[in-house]
Amino acid sequence: MSIEVKNLVKTFDKKVILDNISFRVDDGKILSIIGFSGSGKSTVLKLISGLLEKDSGEIITTGGDIAMVFQYSALFDSLNVFDNISFALQERKDLRGKYTRKELEKIVAEKLELVGLSGIENKYPSELSGGMQKRVSFARAIVTEPKIILYDEPTAGLDPISSTLIEDYIVRLKNETNAASIVVTHQMSTIRRTADSVLMLYNGHAVFEGSPDELCREETPYTRQFVEAAIDGPMKMN
Amino acid sequence: MRGGILKVYYKATFTYKIIRALEQTVTELISTLGQIVIFGIEFLKGLKNKPTTFKELMYQCYRFGVTSLPITLSIVGMTSIIVAMQVAGEMVKQGAGNYVGMLVAILMVREEAVIMAGFAIISMIGSSLASEIATMKVTEQIDAITVLKVNPVHYLFTPRVLAGTLMMPVVVIISSLVGIIGGAVASNLVSGLTFKAYFDSVWFGLNTHDLNVCIMKSFAFGFVISLISCSCGMEARDGAKGVGLATTKAVVWSFVAIVIVDLIFAAACFY
Ligand SMILES: Nc1ncnc2c1ncn2[C@@H]1O[C@H](COP(=O)(O)OP(=O)(O)OP(=O)(O)O)[C@@H](O)[C@H]1O
Ligand SMILES: [Mg+2]
Repeated sequence: MSIEVKNLVKTFDKKVILDNISFRVDDGKILSIIGFSGSGKSTVLKLISGLLEKDSGEIITTGGDIAMVFQYSALFDSLNVFDNISFALQERKDLRGKYTRKELEKIVAEKLELVGLSGIENKYPSELSGGMQKRVSFARAIVTEPKIILYDEPTAGLDPISSTLIEDYIVRLKNETNAASIVVTHQMSTIRRTADSVLMLYNGHAVFEGSPDELCREETPYTRQFVEAAIDGPMKMN
Repeated sequence: MRGGILKVYYKATFTYKIIRALEQTVTELISTLGQIVIFGIEFLKGLKNKPTTFKELMYQCYRFGVTSLPITLSIVGMTSIIVAMQVAGEMVKQGAGNYVGMLVAILMVREEAVIMAGFAIISMIGSSLASEIATMKVTEQIDAITVLKVNPVHYLFTPRVLAGTLMMPVVVIISSLVGIIGGAVASNLVSGLTFKAYFDSVWFGLNTHDLNVCIMKSFAFGFVISLISCSCGMEARDGAKGVGLATTKAVVWSFVAIVIVDLIFAAACFY
């Protein structure tokens, strides 16, 4: 139930996106990854979940399932909310046929209640707002009770109250299952409420690694620029 | 220094650009072909786990076999009417009226029905399979399937490719029938050939070998079309443009593929 990344390198078409990144996330801890748009945050998550091949380095994950909440929800638009959330339980080779319809309904209802969306089982993704889609995708990811959870901007595009709901749930889930989690985010509120440690990426490198408090103390030019959202600073767009 | 300048100059020439374009086309051709084969093997491997439900399979069969019928039947029916109109009058005049039904039937069963139905299915179902899967790919739905530990090839290809393979013969048989009947009506109207004379000649012309080949060919076409369409969809990237490209590629590749399959059957079964 931990994630260890050592000297990770990833290039796309000769462009180095991640240059020698290392970090670890222990059981029951949450790492928050921050950085500019295009700094490779989603790429890190996709490498860990096995969707992309790394160029070199090591990724060691121990424990059970790896779950991922996608940046743009990635709900199955031809399936309704019920089938989306219960997808893994219905289609995974080792789980197929293990649950009765009744049990599935109960599990789905539970997860929907958790994200504050009870009773929308029969709706299709296109009938939901962006924020609701995000919450459904959250419910879908955690349905198998994974031990490693990767969140790609779980609170982006949500209103402050839904954000808090999700943030609290991320922490609650971590406490209950002792999962190791990574939360990619741009929101200070999410960092403050969830993260045990923070990693900041810029130009393929980790330019800051420390606790949320250290980030807020703004002791390095990078953290100062991020927290103050300043245009002037060591990090330049493009 | 001099070499450097020459090199830059060479890269600006048309020869260089043409060679590059050719090289890219050939690489892409080979890689697409490779991908299709890999997906095909993966699909076959997945079959033993029954990775689909009866309901989903039925839905895909309906999509492949029923929704496509109006366009398939009109294309095949119309072609046979045109053929009958062109030749019936002439043949009756030359005293060969007894062979019109046979001609249309052989034409239908050996080539027309299966190739025309193939073209109709490609443009209607193949393109929709490709764009459906391509959209799932570029919106990361395929990634989501993978992360949920479900094999996307097994999950998506199985019902679609099975339905394609199973339904194509049905579509072809129905269109052959409609084609033959269309031919009867056309010859009757154009040259007054009686239905009895026409259908006697149809019975005379049909033989089991042709019918068997026709059915085997339909299975092959259905398999090839649905496999290629799904594979091209799976390979899509880069947003809406990628979906468009994948769809075009699926249609073009399927067209070429069924003509090649047809050629192979013609060579293997009639010579
Ligand atoms: N499949 C791919 N092929 C080529 N380049 C890619 C691919 N995926 C990502 N990239 C490039 O890698 C870089 C990092 O992308 P990534 O999506 O990881 O950024 P990000 O930090 O998540 O940004 P955002 O905050 O906007 O989500 C970008 O420059 C992007 O163009
Ligand atoms: Mg991202």
